[in-house]
This record gives sequence, C-alpha cells and structure tokens, in this order.
Amino acid sequence: MAKAVRFKPVRSYNLNIADYNIRVIAAEDGPDLQPSERFRGSITNHVTQDIAIKVHHGAVNVPEDAERVLVAPYLVEVKGYKVNRKDNFWSVYRHNADLYLITNFPDSPSGKRAMLKFSLIFPEWDLWIENAGASTDPLDYPLDGLVLYYLTAINSDIMIHASGVYYDTQGYLFSGTSGKGKTTLAGIWDNVGAQVIHDDRLIIRNRGGIYRMFNTPVNKGDVPRSAPLNKILIIEHGVENCTLNLRESSAITSVIANCIQHNYDPEMIARFLGSVSLLCSKIPVSRLSFKPDRSIIDYLLKNEFQQSYSEAFEGHRFYASF
Amino acid sequence: MADLNTIVSRSKSIVGRKTGSEYVLIPVSNNIADMESVFTINETGAFIWEQMDGKKSIEELTNLLMEEYEVDYQTALADITGFVETMRDYLVIETA
Repeated sequence: MAKAVRFKPVRSYNLNIADYNIRVIAAEDGPDLQPSERFRGSITNHVTQDIAIKVHHGAVNVPEDAERVLVAPYLVEVKGYKVNRKDNFWSVYRHNADLYLITNFPDSPSGKRAMLKFSLIFPEWDLWIENAGASTDPLDYPLDGLVLYYLTAINSDIMIHASGVYYDTQGYLFSGTSGKGKTTLAGIWDNVGAQVIHDDRLIIRNRGGIYRMFNTPVNKGDVPRSAPLNKILIIEHGVENCTLNLRESSAITSVIANCIQHNYDPEMIARFLGSVSLLCSKIPVSRLSFKPDRSIIDYLLKNEFQQSYSEAFEGHRFYASF
Repeated sequence: MADLNTIVSRSKSIVGRKTGSEYVLIPVSNNIADMESVFTINETGAFIWEQMDGKKSIEELTNLLMEEYEVDYQTALADITGFVETMRDYLVIETA
C-alpha cells in the first residue's frame, strides 16, 4: 500500500465539510495532529464551529453502567459478497446524555484505536487515541464518516449512498447500493461537462427550505463541492432507459433503503424517517433503469422538459410515467 | 386465527409515519432500525393502523371499517382479519 501523504503536524485545524464546521484541537497531553492529504481542500480558516473535537493520547474506560447500543462488524466486499472480517469494528455506548464510540482503524499499521466521547446536544467532543505515536490523523477511516454521520443526525440531514451531478441548473442524485451504477452514471455525466459532486456518497442538507447535496473528502485531491438537489433517481442497470415515478411512501422506502444510518433508538429513527419524508415531499423521486451510455443523458434531459410541461399545465409535481 | 374479541395493538417495535394517506413503518430490533424490512401500508391499512389503540377488538375494528368505507360486514371482516394476520406474521402488530 502506498504511504498516505500527510500535512506537517499542527496543534489545531478547522475543517469545513458539507458546510459543517469542525474544529480539531490537540489537548495539552495530546498528539500532534496530521490530517491526511484528502482533507487539504476542506481545511479552512472559519472561526465558527458546529463541533470541537479535543484529541488526547491514550484510553479511558466507558462508564460501567453504560449501555451498548450499536455494534458494527467490519464488512468487506469480495466479488460482490460481503465478508465479515472481524467483529466489533466499532461500537457505540450510551450513558445518560453522553455517547461513547469505540473504533479500530483498519488502515492503521500501528494498531491505533480510539474512543470518541460525544453528545448529540453539546458541541464539545473528546477523542482519546491509543497508539497514536507523536502525530496522527485523528479522523482516519472510519472516524471521519462516523463524525459526519452524527453531525447529520444532529442536524436532521441525510447521508446516502449516491452519486450526484449538476448540469444546466439541475442537480441529479443517483442512489443505489454497490454495483447499481452510481459511478458509471457520474462518469457519463462527467464526459459531457457536468459537475460531479461525488460518485459514491453524499450528504443532503435542507438549507432554509432548499435541498443541497454535498460531497465529503474521500480521496486525495477532493475539494468541497455542492449543488442544489432537484431530482432523486433510484438506479439500476437495464436494457433501455426507463423511469417510474414513485408516490410518496414508495419514494420514502426507496430512499431509506440507500441511506447510511446508525440510529440506535426509536426516537432517532422517527426523526430520521421525518427527514426522509420531508425530502421526498419536496424532491421528486423516480426509479431509473438505464443503459450505460450517453443516451441516458438525452433521456433525462427530455424528461425534465416534460416534467416542466406537466407542472405548468396540469399542476402536478409528478409527471406521467414513460 | 384471531377471533372477534381479540384485542389488536401496534407493536412497540415499530416506528411509523403517515405520508399522504399511507403509512411507512420501520421495524426496530434491538434498538436498530431494520431498513431492509420497511413496510408501506395503503389508505385502508392506514385507517386500520390508526384505529388499533390496544383497546379495540377485531369486531370493533370491523364495524369502524364498515362505517368508514361503506362496505358490508363480511367484506370489512375479511379485510381486518387479512390485515391482522399478515401484520402479525411480520411482527408489526400484537394481539391479545
């Protein structure tokens, strides 16, 4: 494996990812901070912060009477099959208003392990890292995605397996599980000059009644991207291009199936369901079967025209199926 | 099979939300949402779901359905028992 490129060590830095402001600070006893190169485009000078994460060396114990509410096994995909490599990849414990997330870092050669003490109410979080060495990236995989996930939960936002593109004032989100064509579609749109927001994972935020989709830093060279969201398409490969508009409840269940969610109690699940329901009441959702070539772009652009026609003359948000 | 006096209630392991005239139901198991088993129920199912307060019997639900949709007793009873048995199999509702 190629050695990850990293910044020079620092004692603090600010990230802006999906419009969340995250301040990362080394505690007095903490290691130097050395974010990976993939975060370069997300480091900002913003002084406002949604959360602050203070990074310490070492480990602390979860309170004895804490309740374990989530256990995530470590799954890898081999030739389309999910393989459980080891148990307890990461776990979440709850103790009163505090949550404790314990995780391994599968990409860490030093056996790094961490515990994040956080809250869905208070913005000051603490992170203890074992085997961090003199300097470390405190948001190595999977912690970066988990921190972002809990930020979406706090803000009633949505994290989803999807690619997203922006073309001619329209933002399209293509959602599906692995192998359904997210990356393929992003590539086809990229070839015609569309802005690809991301090809695998997006965060959807409702900003003052306007839905936007955001990327998150995954690879070296990633820069923050976002675009308005105008249409959600639940995708699969097909022999011809075809859409089926989904009524609201089917739209909700189709979107939910592709969301990333680590909810651990009915109240959180209800709030998440509310967020997806609101999204699906505002943004049209369709199933899309597509041929993996340029024809899908012409097809969707033609669909957009017919949608506008229908809205103008019939007053319906959804247009007739083709 | 449930009899007419059977009391029907929604499972506490379900998170539901009304959307238009339908419901989306998410099962919760060990505090975790099972997103691969999400249900939607149509307008009639939604009416039955809303009436299932843990106090009404199958007979009472049948009478309410008759009034709401102006159907005969046998049709309403068949709808109610069909719904209850299916939903009970999926652990969405409980009977006592």
